[in-house]
Amino acid sequence: MKENLYFEDVEIGDDIGPIKKSVTDKDVIEFVSIREKEITPSRFTSKEIANNEGMPEAIVPGPMNIALMSQILTDWSDTVCLLKIDVVFRQTVPHNQDLTFSGIVTDKDETGDSTKLECDVVMENSDGVKLVIGTGVIALPNKP
Amino acid sequence: MLLDLHTHSVASDDSRATVEQYIKWVNVLRRKGKSIHGFVLTEHRQFDHDVDYSKLASDDGIIILKGAELDTDTGHFLVYGISEQITNELDFSDVNISAQNLVDVCDTYGGIAIPAHPGRVGIGFAEYLDNGVTGFETVKTVEQLNGSNRPGEGEKAESLIKAKGYLGTGGSDAHIVSAVGTCMTRFEKKIANESDLVQELRNGRFTAVKLES
Repeated sequence: MKENLYFEDVEIGDDIGPIKKSVTDKDVIEFVSIREKEITPSRFTSKEIANNEGMPEAIVPGPMNIALMSQILTDWSDTVCLLKIDVVFRQTVPHNQDLTFSGIVTDKDETGDSTKLECDVVMENSDGVKLVIGTGVIALPNKP
Repeated sequence: MLLDLHTHSVASDDSRATVEQYIKWVNVLRRKGKSIHGFVLTEHRQFDHDVDYSKLASDDGIIILKGAELDTDTGHFLVYGISEQITNELDFSDVNISAQNLVDVCDTYGGIAIPAHPGRVGIGFAEYLDNGVTGFETVKTVEQLNGSNRPGEGEKAESLIKAKGYLGTGGSDAHIVSAVGTCMTRFEKKIANESDLVQELRNGRFTAVKLES
């Protein structure tokens, strides 16, 4: 994570990340248990149920994927304020796979009216297949 | 001249990029020394005759053309040179258009239909041919390079091209801003409009390329 990143430090085309991580069974159970104290086994928490539904592995829930996609932006710097994230699920995201999250700054408000930045964000598997893509809008503070 | 022949804007439900953002990004690529002259918007299952990007395009010196990506009974097809006769003959929103009819209609009314990402499982032309689909004698070109290809899909497209003697185009299949231009088609002649594009695709004077580093 970069410390004290300011709007003036960033240029269009700047890379964000990448971050590599794997979502474990335990991670998903912890996430699901926030909403369900008694977890009902599902495609998200049970490999057997996922297999019965035609999937090779249990999959990461959509809201958790959105959270993970947000994290590539919020982990860029403590100074990032995430204003919006909008993702497209292109493929299911299985548990326990190596994932790479990356972003790139695609637009910067040069008018001086705001300190907003637009970014593309991508989650890829180890074969480089894009599982989730999206865009985010963040704000950074001006330099003091 | 380098054109990205396969892009989606927010008019497609699975894209998050606006045309204006693509234009800005093309200018970013140019400032980085990369060569790209324009792109073709190939929205899913639709074509809007009334949308006009010529002002946007001329302001930034970028070629912006319109096509479509259609769902057929033989996989996805990219369609260029779309006239009112073509949209009158075909229901673009149909997810199971007869691909042979699509090709025939385009041949008749001045367009051209090209199998998109032919190596893709389930929606790629090669799989249908492998399963015994015949016809398509007037198809001479397929999408050779697709920026969203998964492992093995490019190789399958190459095998198809080699086996059938097809020509190949390139397109990014961009759904987000920074993907535009990752794969393109290099034309020998200048392309100024959809008619030029169809003519050059029919003449075969092009090659598929990846974005130069």
